[in-house]
Amino acid sequence: MAESRVDPSRRRFMKGAVAAGGAATFAAGYSDPLLKMGKGLSGSAGEKPEHRIHGNSLTPEYSVDPESGELTLNPDQRVAFTVCYGCTTKCGVRVRVDNATDRVLRVAGNPYNPLSADEHLPMRTPVAEALRGLSAHGDQGQHNRSTACARGNAMMAQIDSPFRVTHCLKRVGARGDREWQKISFEQLIEEVCEGGDLFGEGEVEGLRAIHDVATPIDPENPEYGPKANQLMVMEATDYGRSALLKRFAFNAFGTRNYGHHGSYCGLAFRMGSGAVMNDMQKFAHVKPDIQNARFLMYIGSAPSQAGNPFKRQGRLIAQARAAGTLDYVVVDPALNASASHAADHNRWVPIRPGSDSAFAMALIQWLLDNEGYAEDFLELPGQAAAESAGEVTHSNATHLVIDSEGHSRRGHFLRVSDLGRAEAGSDGDVPMVMSESGELVDSESVMRAALFVDREVSLADGARVRVKSSMTLLREAAHEHTLAEYAAHCGIPEATIVELARRYASHGRRAAVNCHGGMMSGNGFYAAFAVQMLNLLAGNHNRKGGSAPGGGQFNGTGSGPRYDLADFPGKRGPQGIFLSRSRFPYEKSSEYQRKVAAGENPYPARAPWRSLAPPTLTEHLPSALDGYPYPIKAVIGCMANPLYGQAGLEALVADKLADPRRLGLFVAIDGFLNETNRYADYIVPDSVMYEVWGFTGAWRGALGKMTTACWPVVEPRQQKTQEGEPVSMDSFFIAVAKRLGLPGFGDEAIPDAEGNLHPLDRAEDFYLRAAANVAMQGEPLPAADESDIAHAGLAPLLPKLERTLKPEERGPVAYLYARGGRYEDFEAHFDGENLTSAWKRTLCVYNERVGTSINTQNGQRNRGVPCHSLPKLADGRDMRGVFSEEEWPLLAFSFKSNLMNSYAIGLERLRMIKPYNPVMMHRQDAERFGIAHGDTIRIESPGGSVVALALVGEGVMPGALGIEHGYGHRDLGATPHVIDGESQPDLEWLRAGININDLGFEDPTRSVAGTWLEPISGASVRQGLPIRVTRLAA
Amino acid sequence: MDSIRRSLLGQLARLSAGAALVPIASLASAGINDQPPRREGDSSKRYGMLIDLRQCIGCQACTVACHIENAAPLGSFRTTVSQYEVQHQESGEVATFMLPRLCNHCENPPCIPVCPVEATFQRQDGIVVVDSDRCVGCAYCVNACPYDARFINERTQTADKCTFCAHRLEAGLLPACVESCVGGARIIGDMRDPESQISRMLDEYRDELMVLQPEKNTLPQVFYLGMDERFVTRPDAEPVALEVLDPHGKEMGYEFRH
Repeated sequence: MAESRVDPSRRRFMKGAVAAGGAATFAAGYSDPLLKMGKGLSGSAGEKPEHRIHGNSLTPEYSVDPESGELTLNPDQRVAFTVCYGCTTKCGVRVRVDNATDRVLRVAGNPYNPLSADEHLPMRTPVAEALRGLSAHGDQGQHNRSTACARGNAMMAQIDSPFRVTHCLKRVGARGDREWQKISFEQLIEEVCEGGDLFGEGEVEGLRAIHDVATPIDPENPEYGPKANQLMVMEATDYGRSALLKRFAFNAFGTRNYGHHGSYCGLAFRMGSGAVMNDMQKFAHVKPDIQNARFLMYIGSAPSQAGNPFKRQGRLIAQARAAGTLDYVVVDPALNASASHAADHNRWVPIRPGSDSAFAMALIQWLLDNEGYAEDFLELPGQAAAESAGEVTHSNATHLVIDSEGHSRRGHFLRVSDLGRAEAGSDGDVPMVMSESGELVDSESVMRAALFVDREVSLADGARVRVKSSMTLLREAAHEHTLAEYAAHCGIPEATIVELARRYASHGRRAAVNCHGGMMSGNGFYAAFAVQMLNLLAGNHNRKGGSAPGGGQFNGTGSGPRYDLADFPGKRGPQGIFLSRSRFPYEKSSEYQRKVAAGENPYPARAPWRSLAPPTLTEHLPSALDGYPYPIKAVIGCMANPLYGQAGLEALVADKLADPRRLGLFVAIDGFLNETNRYADYIVPDSVMYEVWGFTGAWRGALGKMTTACWPVVEPRQQKTQEGEPVSMDSFFIAVAKRLGLPGFGDEAIPDAEGNLHPLDRAEDFYLRAAANVAMQGEPLPAADESDIAHAGLAPLLPKLERTLKPEERGPVAYLYARGGRYEDFEAHFDGENLTSAWKRTLCVYNERVGTSINTQNGQRNRGVPCHSLPKLADGRDMRGVFSEEEWPLLAFSFKSNLMNSYAIGLERLRMIKPYNPVMMHRQDAERFGIAHGDTIRIESPGGSVVALALVGEGVMPGALGIEHGYGHRDLGATPHVIDGESQPDLEWLRAGININDLGFEDPTRSVAGTWLEPISGASVRQGLPIRVTRLAA
Repeated sequence: MDSIRRSLLGQLARLSAGAALVPIASLASAGINDQPPRREGDSSKRYGMLIDLRQCIGCQACTVACHIENAAPLGSFRTTVSQYEVQHQESGEVATFMLPRLCNHCENPPCIPVCPVEATFQRQDGIVVVDSDRCVGCAYCVNACPYDARFINERTQTADKCTFCAHRLEAGLLPACVESCVGGARIIGDMRDPESQISRMLDEYRDELMVLQPEKNTLPQVFYLGMDERFVTRPDAEPVALEVLDPHGKEMGYEFRH
């Protein structure tokens, strides 16, 4: 250990330049010029730049007179507002376009958009004034910037990428061979709809044959629903177009099966949040009010490294630490950009991957034992009490839960009806509480109730049952381990845990926690439930400086003031169960009933049925390919890439996906060929960002109500249909629906407020009518004037408005697009200490739905309060019981990159800064395994093996190996595809680095094939994958 | 910044930064030998930059925005943000340190006197530029800069560097890096205008500001707030990205090496 004598502050300098690119630092400037001198190079032999001083720098988009502030537009360029697809934050951006070439020159933020500008401009601001406000005039532009991040800046290269697909493609040869031929859009639509012997491999059922909403898939299991469910539709996420995709899938075609990336993104977190917020349908979540908070704990999330909204929280946290208003800690296995010594009052606390439930339950234990919780708030038993106390809502902390072993109502709240004093399910059938004087009373009848109750009561039927308050159940769960045990498990010293708990408690309702993707572990649901419980114990929901549910959206695609985009003549509702067997109790399935009738133990089910979980893509695809509960016949994917995104999926399903007998038809809609749509039969070339229509919102991270609008600010580069429309997701679904005669598309598809029907023949028929709904709901927006139209580059949009909308709608819609959306004015968003956008449901210390659900793999009831558990496999066994620490001594985890994402590897301006992702290994582990900084190592897991470069240091938890996400691609340019005999460029650098998901594995305890999924949610486990490492070379 | 890290070196750095501010107020030419006369630009202004490191989140938006705005060749940078893993000398806590870097538009720029053809010069507003019509690409200036802020542009074969986006400043707009700074760390402005944001911040934080390598007597005009004084001298850092490996462990080299 000679190294330990080295001055640590000096030694740490050895970790230079992680992000700004190793080889790509300024230092590169040294060597080459010297070489050139050596060769005697003289004179300027290179190309002559545009300007002798300014070189080839861009011509400014406008100028602002330093004295008068007068703004003069550059007539050769335009600035238009739309959305960025660089991550799921979906920031509003301003795009500079060259008028002559229609090329995007550069991108920055939209000053009206809260995701890009923290104090965003009010809607009433004329666009010219908004542009002036971004200038150097009077330093205005520095006082309130509106920015795009590094990736947001770099993303424009997608448009003219050499890897972009601009033509409809049909595969040549076997699936996955990466060989294609160009076909017309019309041929693609015909073949996809009508099927036939499309590939010389036998008959393929087309969408027309699959579109059968009457015939059951399986008469033995009628709950599976109709044959139409054998079409599965998946997309990456809602980039603003999901409303049209779902209109096709659910309401026109009538399939039940839709999935998106959520189950391999942050689902365990979302469900844990939903459990606290009493929302097991949409799994609402909260974000801290950074500007007013005094103490924040980020657990498995990292403001300024990543997260949503990336820029907004990065900037707010930077401002808060500079102003000294906030203390924060980042609890994460890896050091990231959030912890900065440039300012005080922030700190990184390393934690072992997948052990967050131990850390959170330890904090809960300390808070409960030391009265470190919001007693006044938690004692409010009902809405009446909340209102009289000036609170928006209340919690169920005092509510009594039936807890007698074997009782049929075990796990349910003790309700008025249990005592025979109300009709079950009636309005008055509220939970019971214990009053301060020790009486059993209903929760709406008293202003305060006892927090900790454990006693017997008599029910109406005379039965004696034990009841415990929610808080008692939580306290019991928190005391199942000692602080020392929790500390040993999560790797955070007990003293640190106590110190953090004390600080958290000391800031009262201005302390909050935030978590996200770090919860994607083998017990992620309960970890997130426990972490979010800390917010409830602080009583910080809906509070200034606490946890905010966000301002919501202006919905344009519902039943709006101008058009009804939710309902249409002939609309269908999907029937039957999801492929993922979610949201449906196994106990109601035919399979369960057959087993019970045969006298068999119905548990375990053949594969997990998760009654609490939403439909999960993690189960959809492998289950469908294995035919349980039923096989599928076609997949339509839109920008989805589960094979890259889900740990262990590629190894599990790639061969099956390549087999046309398991899946007849796979259509991918995308501008790029990724690891998943490599296996498609057809590629529909999609618009990429800046070419698309759509509406997006803030993902909880903005306090005000907002909707970002996007429109094609440049002409889509891809093929056109015979009608002259760009081929895209929209035109594909419209064409398929029209060919199959589905409702909701083509003529007479969109009702207006007067009941007249309008066509849906092209994308803008849908999106511009949605825009009219957004612009004209509530107080309608005024009409845009000529100046707005000129300054917001709306000229290309005007003919479309005239062709599609009613005259009175055009002005307000132009006003909307001139500002890139509609946003509630920036204001305080507070009513005293309460947030104006509040969450009104009863907050859950105990979640009754969770506490009465059953794990179908062992027949046991799930816990209704958070608790600590070890990472579990599907049959309930501890992961370490199967994959021992002796054999797999380290735990791999992933973290988000502030530069790269899962689809950005093709952007050379990001690759030049960070070409790849060496893995983070702690010095102690390096010594243990004989590995030095910079060594090439092999990383093996039960499911795969990769080769990586070791980055050895102190910036990671001992025992953990950190992998930045976004590298290790096999497609998206990493392997050339051949189109009409012509190969794409072969750039080996796109293959650089590794993907943690290649270390995922099949869960060996399952009978229907599946990757390792979190038991409650079905979320892909990527935090805490068991691995071992060996040194390959120095 | 806490008191713990105010070591002797830090004192020196701060004093030097303070000293650098003096000649600005009393017109810049005083006392600087070997520098050819300044020409072009607006003599009523002196541009400088203040970087509030407390607000830098290391996102590299500036790096990419600058790269696009100024059409730098791939792999060459007029500005970038170096990221370091650092350990607190007292507490032992590990954190990241972000150091945005660009041309310091020094008051005494060592890159200018070495130019054999007077292609590189300082404008009267303090911005150090290169006249590509004159530059012969000899790279003396590249080597003379202690901040590695210059490079030879592979396309033009001339010296290339940050101009504070002079073309944008002249249009009344902000430089790309400033305009795109997510954390709001970069402040540019006319230091001769006492009402400008940079003048007010220089005044407010005068005692805390540092510059890079003050001992070189270059009098940098890019000032850092929240600086870790260990980085004032050129950090003896080993680059992290040692080798770029393909999936089989084969070294691929840096894609954009010139």
